[in-house]
Amino acid sequence: MRRIITLALLIIFNFILQSTIFGFHNIGSISPNLMLILTMSFGIMRGRKEGMFVGFFCGFLADCMFSTVLGPYMFIYMIIGYVNGFFHKTYIVEDALLPLIVIVLDELAFNTAIYVVHFLLRNHLNFIDYITSIIIPETLSTALLTIIVYKLYVFINRKLKEKE
Amino acid sequence: MKFDKRKDINPKYLLLTLTIICIIFLLMSFFASDKIAAIKGFTGKIITPLQQGINEIGLWTDSKMDNLKKIEDLTAENEELKKKLAEYQSEITTYQNQLSELESLQELYELDALYPDYNKTGAHVFATDSSSWFSTFYIDKGTNDGLFVGANVMCGEGLAGLIVECYADYSKVRAIIDDNSNVSAKIMPSNALCTVEGNINTYQHGYLAVVNIDKDANISIGDKVVTSNISDRYHAGIVIGYVTNVENDPNNLTKTAFISPVVNFSEITEVLVITDTKTTIVTE
Repeated sequence: MRRIITLALLIIFNFILQSTIFGFHNIGSISPNLMLILTMSFGIMRGRKEGMFVGFFCGFLADCMFSTVLGPYMFIYMIIGYVNGFFHKTYIVEDALLPLIVIVLDELAFNTAIYVVHFLLRNHLNFIDYITSIIIPETLSTALLTIIVYKLYVFINRKLKEKE
Repeated sequence: MKFDKRKDINPKYLLLTLTIICIIFLLMSFFASDKIAAIKGFTGKIITPLQQGINEIGLWTDSKMDNLKKIEDLTAENEELKKKLAEYQSEITTYQNQLSELESLQELYELDALYPDYNKTGAHVFATDSSSWFSTFYIDKGTNDGLFVGANVMCGEGLAGLIVECYADYSKVRAIIDDNSNVSAKIMPSNALCTVEGNINTYQHGYLAVVNIDKDANISIGDKVVTSNISDRYHAGIVIGYVTNVENDPNNLTKTAFISPVVNFSEITEVLVITDTKTTIVTE
């Protein structure tokens, strides 16, 4: 129960930070994807099931606020959480490289999916431009932030485990 | 993995269930959009007050930081402005003379005012889209303040966007720099019709693309681009930006221009929303 409340708070907190402080009144700018870090972290630390649920609710909030239809973000975040759960088998607390590699792959997959659904299907074919101007900057900023934020999540996870 | 034996379900089946829920939501968005709007409205009721609170804190710290920085700059700026004021005062007198001449000429032509006075209401921006792909933002006024889907949003003197979703106390605005945005416009001295396209790639360089300009239109750098009368969404005569570059399209039938928008989209905090509908002005 304590875990569910903590996770719910973390999801809401991350979403609010993402939509206000990050990219503060700066429309059309690059900002790190906090919710993807959250999904990835709990996917790796706790396995497929929890990663999937965290992703599902992160995506639900993103869809509710920033999408015209309900569903696409939910699906992408959920799949990412689920797939990251497979890395739980090789999870070691001290390992800082694994989350970094996984978040880079996640970002690439996530942004490519958005590109395909929202841009490729509208005949915007210059993928290289989108890679250099959006995907790579966002991936780098998210990866940098992961180094700090992941440690925090490991700490929260450990505290939760001690209580259980 | 260790799960509680009583509640242990294979993650595969959970994934399948959640996927089905996603698909149901997706189908509902198309076939029962009122139910989805209710879900969105309910989530918004919980989330938006929190966002507005965080935003207030952000604005407060931002203004405090700015104050410290600005005090030094302001004294220097004040001196400069005083000098400029004297210049402008002399200019105003010339303009006033010209204005009276213009008015008499307009009476002669029986023209209505070029820029009708729209009713506007101010609003604060409190949240922006979380992903780098889209340019939408939220403002803190909604249907209770007389706003509606399709209302034009301005920032200062320029066009900022269009309301695409409107709830009781807040609404979602799509900026004109968003990739899905298209504004029917005209280029001012030559009256050439065109379309202002939002485009991520050009906006990364600070420009908006203006397409479908007639090849023979006489366009020069610095021309003003305003919303046209033809558009069924945007009120006529709102400034969008100024032409910085023009080039011919490969098809040799049309031209493409690049304009720098009037609105600074990296610092949007307050906006003005036009509360008149486009149709009421046409019937008047």
